[in-house]
Amino acid sequence: MSDLDDFKATYFDECSELMNELEEQFAAIEAGERDADRLNAVFRAIHSIKGGAGAFGFSGLVGFAHAYETLLDYVRDGRVEMTDDVVSLCIRANDIVADHINAAQTGEQLDADYGMEEKQRFDAIARGQSGQSDDEWSGEIIEEFDIEFTPVRVELAVDKHEPEAAPARAAEPDTFDAPPMPIEPGHWEVRFTPYRQLYARANDPLLLFRELAALGEFNVRALLTDIPALSDFEPFGVYCSWEITLFAPDLTEAAIREVFEFVDGDCSIEIVSLGHAVPPPAIAAPDTPAAAAPKAPQHELMALTEDEVAPTPTVAPAAPSPAPVAEVPKADEPGLSFADLASEIVATAPPRPVPVSAPKPPAAPKPAAQAEGGEDGGNRSVGVQSIRVDLDKVDRVVNMVSELVITQSMLTQQMDENLRARYTELVRGLEVLAQTTRGLQDSVMAIRAQPVKSVFSRMPRLVRELATKTGKKIKLETIGENTEIDKTVIEQLSDPLTHMIRNSADHGIESPEKRKAMGKSEIGTIRLSAEQAGGNILIIVEDDGAGINREKVLQLARDKGLVAADMTPTDEQIDQLIFAPGFSTADAVSDISGRGVGMDVVLSNIKKIGGSVHVRSWTGKGSRMTLRLPLTLAVLDVMLVKVGESPYVLPLSSIVETMQCSGANFERVPSGGQVLQVRGEYVQVIDVAQRFSMHSTKQLDDRFVVLCESEGSQKVALVVDDIIGQQQVVIKSLEENFEQVDGIAGGTILGDGNVALIVDVQGLRATHIHQKAA
Amino acid sequence: MTLRVLTVDDSRTILAMLHHTLSNAGFEVLQAEDGKQGLDVLLSHDVDVVITDINMPVMDGIEFIKNVRASGQYQSLPILILTTETSQDKRDQGKAAGGTGWIVKPFDPDKLISVIHRVVH
Repeated sequence: MSDLDDFKATYFDECSELMNELEEQFAAIEAGERDADRLNAVFRAIHSIKGGAGAFGFSGLVGFAHAYETLLDYVRDGRVEMTDDVVSLCIRANDIVADHINAAQTGEQLDADYGMEEKQRFDAIARGQSGQSDDEWSGEIIEEFDIEFTPVRVELAVDKHEPEAAPARAAEPDTFDAPPMPIEPGHWEVRFTPYRQLYARANDPLLLFRELAALGEFNVRALLTDIPALSDFEPFGVYCSWEITLFAPDLTEAAIREVFEFVDGDCSIEIVSLGHAVPPPAIAAPDTPAAAAPKAPQHELMALTEDEVAPTPTVAPAAPSPAPVAEVPKADEPGLSFADLASEIVATAPPRPVPVSAPKPPAAPKPAAQAEGGEDGGNRSVGVQSIRVDLDKVDRVVNMVSELVITQSMLTQQMDENLRARYTELVRGLEVLAQTTRGLQDSVMAIRAQPVKSVFSRMPRLVRELATKTGKKIKLETIGENTEIDKTVIEQLSDPLTHMIRNSADHGIESPEKRKAMGKSEIGTIRLSAEQAGGNILIIVEDDGAGINREKVLQLARDKGLVAADMTPTDEQIDQLIFAPGFSTADAVSDISGRGVGMDVVLSNIKKIGGSVHVRSWTGKGSRMTLRLPLTLAVLDVMLVKVGESPYVLPLSSIVETMQCSGANFERVPSGGQVLQVRGEYVQVIDVAQRFSMHSTKQLDDRFVVLCESEGSQKVALVVDDIIGQQQVVIKSLEENFEQVDGIAGGTILGDGNVALIVDVQGLRATHIHQKAA
Repeated sequence: MTLRVLTVDDSRTILAMLHHTLSNAGFEVLQAEDGKQGLDVLLSHDVDVVITDINMPVMDGIEFIKNVRASGQYQSLPILILTTETSQDKRDQGKAAGGTGWIVKPFDPDKLISVIHRVVH
């Protein structure tokens, strides 16, 4: 990968973070929080996006972001008010920015006028409010690079100062060592008089000379006439100015001015071409570059002269310098040591700058602490506090750690009682190893964990759109957005969540009128929360709407043949039907919920990442959908069981208890199914062997019951042939390696090399119902 | 002697590009993501030149420059303002605060280096 690709990858990464940030900020801005901090954050985000885009030449993005940024700048400083209209426009603009970023990333071409309408609205708003017709508002990017300087020569009327200046120079034979200067272009004379602020901004005449020297033949002479007596010295006073002659065949004034670019305004510069005919005093005026140095008009110089801060630029008819002044002893003040030194600099320049070395002003002793930000003076280096690592690299570590965990658990298993008794040291070692691997695994997983905030923050926007489209009043509450989950899970979470919230807004929440009629608040609430529960993360979407219309759902399910006509599923089973494959309330679905996919997609997405979904509904009061997601993706604590000759694993997190069938209290129900009575509760029984068409050779009494709990506290009793033990396994996707199988969540490779299938407890229950139906 | 540059910008992309360009040119590069961090770095490191963005969270570039200049120790530390502003006013604000010069983003690597050499020995 080239450097540029690297940078681009960083940039797109950053863009997606910034877009999330924008999403978050605008959610708050919409809610009325329009304080300066938020507006600044929004401005910065767009500004950063634009900055990077410029570096890669994404001109469409730069153009749009520039117009947007300018509007935001106006909003920020109060010239434009952040009305609801402006907020809407900005939210729309965010989409356009996102599209531009996306296009830049995929190399897709957007229409040349994409976003033009919004761009024009930015202009219109800003124009209307600012009342200034800034040419930046053309929306074009001004392709301005540094150090490009095009001087405009303006012919000036002869200034009243000039007649003095010119003769002054003419009457100053010893200023230049060569009166017979060749009359050809490329000869320049520069008078340079720094002001105090030039030094205050850490500019250094010596560096300017070095740069000038690089331009061509170079001669500098210090003008020391203004150096006062030692007793009058001000430490930071500026007493020195210089005259420089330069020659190079094609040297232009622009090139010389470029050298002084940074100090424009901080000094007086006069550039005079000596290449034009020997100037009679009166004609000298046009060449004095008052026009090119608009920031240093003559009268300003005069004022400064009166202040005696800077020497007069028209270095008066230099009488032979009084000798004592030239002998000024070196002083320690930074402002002064330079002046001393400068009188000695006469550099004749080869193409490369002579390393004119000057002793730096003596470095001030380092203060013990600085006024600001001085709480940490240690060796902490910023930028090392966090590092960014390619996800692939982390995944490689995760995989290796996972395998290590497996190896470790395999080793532990190999230790039978005999060995344990004989090798106590080995056993202790294995115990430490087990602990360390566990710790290692947790730490590695923590690297991949991210707060769910990044997904949650996209939802307020969705709810707002849904509310607008449906004409309902909906408010979104989010809880626990700092809960951390594996990055991969987070990435997979966005679609299912979007779908669930759509479902709630569309089918759950009623219209304001209806709600009012029912005595509810007109505003419906959707609550999105995340919490950790044991080894799982629960993401819950709740609404206070009408709940699931069970009659309709059941009718549809019957029509579609998902439920047999003679079966009467429980309410809970009906609710669960909305996740059944092929069930889509398509006719009832507006363009909001329906994008051609039903809730079964939610379920399959969640299953893909090892999670489960459960729905509960209360008629007239609302519904709650719970996503149970694994904390980590790679490793699962399981119970290893045997069904027929094959090993199966059951997620430990779903197991409530195990018992022997001999002691279990089975009962038959009229429909032909079996139930198990456990402490007064009837639990559905599923014979795993039967369900997977395996042949069990064991008598029922020799077999075992594993009581599992799936979502919503509904228990299920699985009958298996044998229980082998607990261990950790690495989940391998069945779908990727084979195909999706109902009732199976994935596969794993055991320590002995055998493949075991991971039972999907909830899926087993669901397919059980469907099977009966069929 | 290797010159040490402190780069201050809240954009990782820009920091990365600066780092690449500067370290290729033989500079030692320190990074900070806002003005406050920049001050922290200055406290613990000797730095030859600073390149700073203007628009940053926590402490923006203007404040940062003012804070740096407020300390006598850093009177002669060259500070280059990194800005996308095509208009003059940010640049002027930065200069007024004590900025030595400026670099306009997007920067050309060669120009970046030559601008740095313009302000450091």
